[in-house]
Amino acid sequence: MTRRSLRDNPKRELWLAWGATVFFYNLYAVVFFLFTHIQPPGQPWYSPDQASTWFTEHHHGLGIGLALIFVFGGLSATSIALITYSIRRMSVSRAFSYSYLIIYSVSAVPGFLFICVALTAGIMRPERSPQLQHWLYQLGFLSFSGTMGVFLIGSLIWMCAILLDGNRVFPKWFGYLNLCNALTEVVVSPSWIFKTGVFPWNGLIAWWIDVVIFGIYTGVFITLLRSMIIREDFGTGPLPAVPAWRFWQSPVETAP
Amino acid sequence: MRARPHRGHSLGHIGTLDLVETLLTVVRKDASLRRVPSSGERVIFWTLPAVAVIWLAAFFLFPGFVRPMSPRASATEVATFYREHTARIRYSMILLNWFCVALIPLLMLVVERMRGMAHRTPILRFCVIGVAGAAPIAFLTTTVFWLLAAFQPERAPELTQLLNDLGWVTFTCGVPFLVAQSGFLALAIHFDRQEQPVFPRWVAHFNLVIGLALIPAAFAGLTKTGVFAWDGLVSFWVKNVAIAIWIIVMSIVVGHAVESDHAAGAEAVA
Repeated sequence: MTRRSLRDNPKRELWLAWGATVFFYNLYAVVFFLFTHIQPPGQPWYSPDQASTWFTEHHHGLGIGLALIFVFGGLSATSIALITYSIRRMSVSRAFSYSYLIIYSVSAVPGFLFICVALTAGIMRPERSPQLQHWLYQLGFLSFSGTMGVFLIGSLIWMCAILLDGNRVFPKWFGYLNLCNALTEVVVSPSWIFKTGVFPWNGLIAWWIDVVIFGIYTGVFITLLRSMIIREDFGTGPLPAVPAWRFWQSPVETAP
Repeated sequence: MRARPHRGHSLGHIGTLDLVETLLTVVRKDASLRRVPSSGERVIFWTLPAVAVIWLAAFFLFPGFVRPMSPRASATEVATFYREHTARIRYSMILLNWFCVALIPLLMLVVERMRGMAHRTPILRFCVIGVAGAAPIAFLTTTVFWLLAAFQPERAPELTQLLNDLGWVTFTCGVPFLVAQSGFLALAIHFDRQEQPVFPRWVAHFNLVIGLALIPAAFAGLTKTGVFAWDGLVSFWVKNVAIAIWIIVMSIVVGHAVESDHAAGAEAVA
């Protein structure tokens, strides 16, 4: 998109927020999977010595990766803002959109700041007693996986709004996908209890299945938000349907 | 309350009664203009000087800021620090725990001004609301860690050091929300293309500079020495001075905008 077309595009704010959302989730994936190896997560049954060694082994990746999250973490607000906007565009009360906005804004501190702080404190002093390193290790992973309610209730609010909406902002099946995302927050709860088997924070249910569902959910909502921006007519009635052939056109061509 | 001659809105008086009376005068005046959307905003605005005095006093009361605590200090040194300065740490952190979230009303005054910007959507306003709560709450968490360390300074030095580390990392690296906030505001002001923009153009550039000045602090976890360490030039001084300047400049800019909105509102009602 050229500079001029961006300035004149009435949807520029929406497109910038969408671009920042794509950037943020890609950065999140690269940092958590490649740099820090926080995903797939470390073993919940590690002994204090093993947890201490885990910090030493991942020292550089954790340091740089977490610093990047400390720099760009605030961009998570762009997807929250877009989703809030999407709910406001629906034929439901603004109470839904503001609830979503507040709940997801609050989620940032326990949801990703805690793990970054705990693991950064862990790499700062490899000489710290293994018992304390173990505590930091558990604080990091459990706060990350175990911050559940905000995402559970947030997803349910989005789901209700979509199912009640008469402005066809999102397809109804996506409402049910929100239910799937909400359920991942339910089945992750045993990670507060179990260290082995399918339930702990790295287990088949609490990690593998949840991450696949969350990955699909995120990919789908980013795509659907793009579709919403393309179809946005700045009115208050139903959003126009988007012909399949226009769906993958570039934003500039489809802007009014 | 005893009747006193009206002395205008100046907060130059030192007496508490005078201050209360001045605030009440402003409230009453604002209440008489109920239909004005900016009604009551001047009350929020004029709490800022008082809050700023408390912030500044608490900042200098905490002995860990006057000469920033070193990340190189041993567990024993950290524990000794908490034992020797227990009272000052407790009082300063209780003050900051009380008042750090008082930044949020200032941010909401900014958010309200954003309504008047020549934007097509409220997206950037939602972005600022989305990060406005997180930065003060991150700082609130910091005070909890430091207060916890000072609660029982005789505990094992390694535990005190752990709580101290968690406090300092949260305090120093916890900048993502402020960085994003500056970026969102810079963009919002840049997009506000109208004859009389809500904020002057330079405020966009100012926010960009402040946002950039905060970024190096995010790397404080990588080293315990040099300018990037949590007691270093960029991670401590540049970051905290940038935040202070941001609060002062944005308060003045918002104050002007609130006043002109209020004047316009009063005119409309009259």
